[in-house]
Amino acid sequence: MGEGAAALRTQLRELVADQVPHDYLGAFSDDPADLQVAQRFCKTLAEDGMLCSSWPARFGGRDSTAWEQTVVREEMWAHHEPRGAQYMGVNWVGPIIMRHGTEAQQRTHLPPIAAGEVIWCQGFSEPEAGSDLASLRTFATRDDDGWLINGQKIWTSYATMAQWCFLLARTTKLEPGGKKQAGLTIFLVPMSDPAIQVRPIRSMLGPHHLNEVFFDNLRVTEADVLGEVGAGWSIVGDVLSFERVGIARYARCERLLHAAPGILGQAWDDLPGELRARWARMLVHCRRARLLAYRLVAAQADGKVGPGDASGYRIAVTKLDQDSAEVLMEILAAAPADGDRYGWFRGEVQDHWRYSQASTVSSGSIEMQRILLSRAMLAAS
Amino acid sequence: MILELSEEALEYGREARRAFAAAGGDELLLAAEADPARRAELGTSVLAGLGAWELEPYADAESAEAAAALCRAAGHALLPYPVAERLARVGDTDALLVVADTNPAAPIGGLELTWTAVTLDGRLHTAAPRGPVHDGFVRELELDAGGQQSDAALAMGLVLGCWTLLGMLDRAIELTVAHVRLRQQFGQPLAKFQGAQFQLTDAEVERSGLEMLAKYALWSGHAAPEDAVDDALALRAAAIEAAEVVFRVCHQLHGASGFCDETTLSWVSRYSQPLRRLPHGLSATRELLATRIGRRGLTGLYTP
Repeated sequence: MGEGAAALRTQLRELVADQVPHDYLGAFSDDPADLQVAQRFCKTLAEDGMLCSSWPARFGGRDSTAWEQTVVREEMWAHHEPRGAQYMGVNWVGPIIMRHGTEAQQRTHLPPIAAGEVIWCQGFSEPEAGSDLASLRTFATRDDDGWLINGQKIWTSYATMAQWCFLLARTTKLEPGGKKQAGLTIFLVPMSDPAIQVRPIRSMLGPHHLNEVFFDNLRVTEADVLGEVGAGWSIVGDVLSFERVGIARYARCERLLHAAPGILGQAWDDLPGELRARWARMLVHCRRARLLAYRLVAAQADGKVGPGDASGYRIAVTKLDQDSAEVLMEILAAAPADGDRYGWFRGEVQDHWRYSQASTVSSGSIEMQRILLSRAMLAAS
Repeated sequence: MILELSEEALEYGREARRAFAAAGGDELLLAAEADPARRAELGTSVLAGLGAWELEPYADAESAEAAAALCRAAGHALLPYPVAERLARVGDTDALLVVADTNPAAPIGGLELTWTAVTLDGRLHTAAPRGPVHDGFVRELELDAGGQQSDAALAMGLVLGCWTLLGMLDRAIELTVAHVRLRQQFGQPLAKFQGAQFQLTDAEVERSGLEMLAKYALWSGHAAPEDAVDDALALRAAAIEAAEVVFRVCHQLHGASGFCDETTLSWVSRYSQPLRRLPHGLSATRELLATRIGRRGLTGLYTP
């Protein structure tokens, strides 16, 4: 990974130890104290130029290497994402605006993201358009004053706290037999507009994770269109390319698995041997997922990503997320009830388990990954 | 760590595949099964032609990568010769066998070589075959009391054996992909059915993950010798687990034809057995790994 990446890891760990309480559970909390932690942490990162280190220098970044970016992904996710909701803006909204935005859009949006002052949400999924995203129905109608947007989004993380939405809408009516991917456009819309209503969906995943967003005659202008009208689907493809490696799920799995024996103390030796063997197996699977991620990072840096490479990794890492969560929950259940001795660790593990349940569903379901991987396998030979 | 073998090692692996095919390919295994005493004759000349005996995997990482590529090619070709065991040799004997300390056995039937065995505690023994040749060329072994300790030999023996098994998984998946593209049911190739597609991905995730762990353990043998046995055992556990998934999927998608000797999968599956079961199967290997790594776990991002 290089010396720069190793030094960055040390620096990030020191920052986390210094600024993030050990019981912080992160991104989807609605505890004002947690939100303050995330806000303060982002400001510190921004002041040190680390929040957007992956960005090009001309946009205020540091042109960090692919390995330095990997270290950031690992350390942040391992510690329950202390950047809170802002990681989306940093990871892909900003870079996409750099690539497709006008100068005015770049001036408006990039500085607040770089300063850690703004939260974005992603307006993609709809009740009738999940994995089949191109079937979406939210419609933007053009008139003399710009565009009027009507429709509904769902499963929208951070919608209750976001200031901006990266919205995908249909701008050309889909004719029978027409190509669904055509006629889609990206809009950058302010969530403060009264024509937008957000309804949180209570769920086992925790607050802020799932929301519905309703657009009722939302008025936007040409200046809010990102890229070309009708070119939304290719921008979505770019978004996915930034998210290929995605969050470093293996890092949190590995941190929690490694922490378990020390936290259980003597009780660790009393666990069933079979459970300790499963724990060892999960450590092997963590290494496996990490190495698959690294191969993908290296291929991406060389511009040599094969069509199935990302999917194979995503299948391995999401299954790891769920399998390791089961093992950790079982370890906790087998540990003696010992007051609050395991309290904060129990909270971490339970949060990991809850969030892992969604790992094979969100950001491209495991079925979609299987389709992509099998397509690559069957095409290659 | 290494994420890919060097281009030289990869080319050497390709050259080995071509050489094994030119020497007779799968026919070599059929001939060896008919007469195990021919194993040496069938394997040694092609390996000598490839310069296999000049490789020194203990001496340098470059040679270790070439050895790994050769083992993988041998597994892919079902070469009926103990390539990994010969390459991992130590001392004055011809080959190294990784064996269990109870009921030691190895697929050495038909070969007149001198053997060193290493048990899972890293102790080296002089080994002599005894009794009849069982399926997969397996023979029981008589070990002496043992003497010298060599973690390097244990790690090398385990790692190169896993590279051979990886080659077999490569082959099983290639055969299965070809089969589902060809075999028609309900008016279309099996490859068009999502149920078949998804099973293939289960196999491929295991195979590609094993490949990465095999490279890691190969690297660690030279770069982090203090972790080499842990990493080799971790690889071994993952290899047996991967083989179980891959062969189950490949047999299922081949249907009844996969059990027939006219189908190469039948041979790959059968001759993978000694590599999967010896020195230990999955449960015992996992238990050994868990005992060995204790509370510390494997070296990784958050090792205490």
